[in-house]
Amino acid sequence: MKSEKKSISNTGFSRIIKQVIHAPSFSVFIVMVLMCVLMYIVSPPFRSVNNLLSIAKNFSAYAIAGIGVTMVIITGGIDLSIGSIFGFSGVIAAMGMVEFGLPLMPAVLLGILTGTALGLINGLFIVKLKLPPFIATLGMLSIVRSLCYITTEGYPVTGLGKEFLFFGQGYILSIPTPIWLLAVIAIIFSIFLNKTVTGRRIYALGGNEEATRISGINTDRLKILVYSLGGCMYGIAGIITASKLGIGQPTAGNGYELDAIAAVVIGGASLSGGVGTVIGTLVGAAIMGILRNALVLLSIKSHWQQFIIGCVIIIAVTFDQLRKSNKLAKV
Amino acid sequence: MRSFPMKKMLLITTIFTLLACSLYAAGSTDGEVVIVVVPQQLGNIVFLPAKEGAEQAGKDLGVKVQWMAPVKAEAQLQVEVIEGLIERKVDGIAISCNHPDALKDVLARAISEGIVVSTFDADSPECGRPFYAGTENYQAGVICGEEMLKQYEGNNKSSISVAILEGIPGAFDIESRKKGFLDTIKGSNLKVVYVGACDDDVDKSVTIVEDYTRANPDLDAWFMAGGWPYIVQPGALPEMTKWKQSDPENHKVVTMDVFSSSIAFFDEGLIDVAVGQNFYSMGYLSVENLYNLISGGEVEGGMKKEGFPGLFIDTGGQIVTPANYKDEIAAE
Repeated sequence: MKSEKKSISNTGFSRIIKQVIHAPSFSVFIVMVLMCVLMYIVSPPFRSVNNLLSIAKNFSAYAIAGIGVTMVIITGGIDLSIGSIFGFSGVIAAMGMVEFGLPLMPAVLLGILTGTALGLINGLFIVKLKLPPFIATLGMLSIVRSLCYITTEGYPVTGLGKEFLFFGQGYILSIPTPIWLLAVIAIIFSIFLNKTVTGRRIYALGGNEEATRISGINTDRLKILVYSLGGCMYGIAGIITASKLGIGQPTAGNGYELDAIAAVVIGGASLSGGVGTVIGTLVGAAIMGILRNALVLLSIKSHWQQFIIGCVIIIAVTFDQLRKSNKLAKV
Repeated sequence: MRSFPMKKMLLITTIFTLLACSLYAAGSTDGEVVIVVVPQQLGNIVFLPAKEGAEQAGKDLGVKVQWMAPVKAEAQLQVEVIEGLIERKVDGIAISCNHPDALKDVLARAISEGIVVSTFDADSPECGRPFYAGTENYQAGVICGEEMLKQYEGNNKSSISVAILEGIPGAFDIESRKKGFLDTIKGSNLKVVYVGACDDDVDKSVTIVEDYTRANPDLDAWFMAGGWPYIVQPGALPEMTKWKQSDPENHKVVTMDVFSSSIAFFDEGLIDVAVGQNFYSMGYLSVENLYNLISGGEVEGGMKKEGFPGLFIDTGGQIVTPANYKDEIAAE
C-alpha cells in the first residue's frame, strides 16, 4: 500500500516537472537563469538584494505594459501606441493632481481611464473602420504623443504630492510597490487568460479568427475589450513611471512600444497570434531588465548596448523556436 | 467582408478637412513677419526657456514667432522641417542644429531662397548664416572640466574615478561637451571609468545613475553631460543620494544644465556645480536680430572671432554652486 502511494506521488511529481519543462516559456526562463548565474559569477554587485529589487522595480512598468500588449498579440494584433498612451496617462494623472486639484485616487483613476479610453479608440478604429491594427495604432502613436505636447506645452508636470510617489517609490514589506502591483496584475491576467471563457476565446481568436466568429463568438467585441485592457495596462505603467520619477513627462515612454513588444516576443508569444502567456512576458521583461542592469554593472561601452540587446533578443527567441520545432518533430 | 459605408467615409473626410482648414487658418500669417524657431527636438525641457525668450521677443517686436521641431533629435527630421519652411517662404529661421554638416546644405538653400537664417545653441558654421547666438557646447564641456578639476584641487589621490552620463551616443552637442570635458581633464589624476548613454530618456538616465552608483560605491565623481537626472524629484535617486551624502568632501557631481527642479537637489547637497546655458537669451536675441536683418537693420551685440564665420553673440552661461543656487536659479 505504502509503495503504491509513493508511486502515485512520484508520477504526480514527474508530471509536474514535465509540465514545467514543456511550458511555453521554459526555454526563455532558462536563458534568464543562465544570465543570472553568469552575472552572479562575474559581478559581485549584481548579487545584492538591493540590486535585484531595483532590477525588478525597473522592469515592472515594462512588464505591466507588456501584459497589456500580450493579450493584443495573442489575438494576432499589434499595438504601436503603447509608449504614447503610457506617457499621456502619466501626464493626465499628474495634471489631475497639480492642475485640476483632484485628490490622489481620482487623479490616478483619471489617468487609468484615459489609457483605457485610448485603447478603446484603438479597438474601435480596428473593428469599426476596419483598419489594420498596425496602421490604427501607428496613427494613435502620433496622435497621443502630440496630445502629450499639446496638453503640457512640452513642460513636465511637477509639484506632485508625496502620496502620489508611493506607487513608484514606496515600499510594502521592504519590497518596492511597483513589484507588488506587477504581481497582482500578473496573477489577475494569468487567471483571466487561462481560467475564464473570455480568456480562452482570446486565444481562439488569435488561433483562427474566422472559425471563432463562425462558432458564434462576437470577435469584434473581443478585440475592443483586448485593446481597451491593453490601454488600461499602459496607463497603469505610465502612472507608475510618473510616480517613480516624481514628474509627469510629455516625452515619457517614447520608444517603449518596442521594448514591451520585445519582452512579449522573448517570452514566447507569436506575432501571428494564438500563442503567448503572462508568465512568458514577465520572463521576457525580466531578461530585458537584467540585461540593462548587466550592461551598466559591467561598464559596457554605450555604443555596444543596442547591439547586445538585439543579440539577446535573437538568441532567446531562436532558443525557443528550436525547442518548439524539436517538440513538433517528436509529435 | 462588409464594405465600409460611404456615408461614414464622407463624414470622416469632412471632419479631417475641417480640422486641416482650421489648423491652416490658425497658422496663417496675413502678411506679418514670420520667424520660425527650430530646436533640436520637441519636448526637450532644455529648450523651453528659449521658447519663452523667442515668444517674448515676438511680442515685443510685433513679429509672429512659431516653434517647430521634430519629435526626435535627428538631423534628417530637422532637414525635413527646414524644407517645409522653405516651401512656406517664411521670413526667418533660428535653428539649433542636430548636426552641423547634415543641416549645412538645406540651410544654405534656405538662405539662397531669401530666408534669413541664424543658429543658436548648436551651430552649423559653414551654412552661411549671418550670426550664431549661444555658448559653444565644447566650451561648456571645458567649463565643466575646469569645475571638476577645482573640486579636487589639493587632492593627492593618484587616481580619481569619474563616471559620465551622456544622451544619445554620437549626438553632436553632447559629444562636443564630452570632448571639451575630456580634453580639459586630460593629464590630470581624473580618470573616466564609465560612460553610460541614456538616449535622452529621463527614466533611463535615473536607472543608469542608480545602478552604476549602487554597484560602485567607491566611485569618486559623476559628470552629467546633460541634466536628465535632475528633471525628476530627488526621491527618484536614493542610491545617488546615499553615495553623495556618505562622503560629500570626496564624492562630487558636476552637471550641465540648470532647471528649476535643480533647486531640490542643491537643497539636499546632491550637486556641486551645475553649468547652465542662457537659453532664454538665445531665443530672445535670435528673434530680435533676425527681425533686425529682415527689416534692413544690423545684428546687435555680435562680435567677430578669428576663424569663425559670421558674428558670434555670446549669451553667456551660469555656474551654479551650493553657494549661489538660490539667487542664480531664482533669477533665471
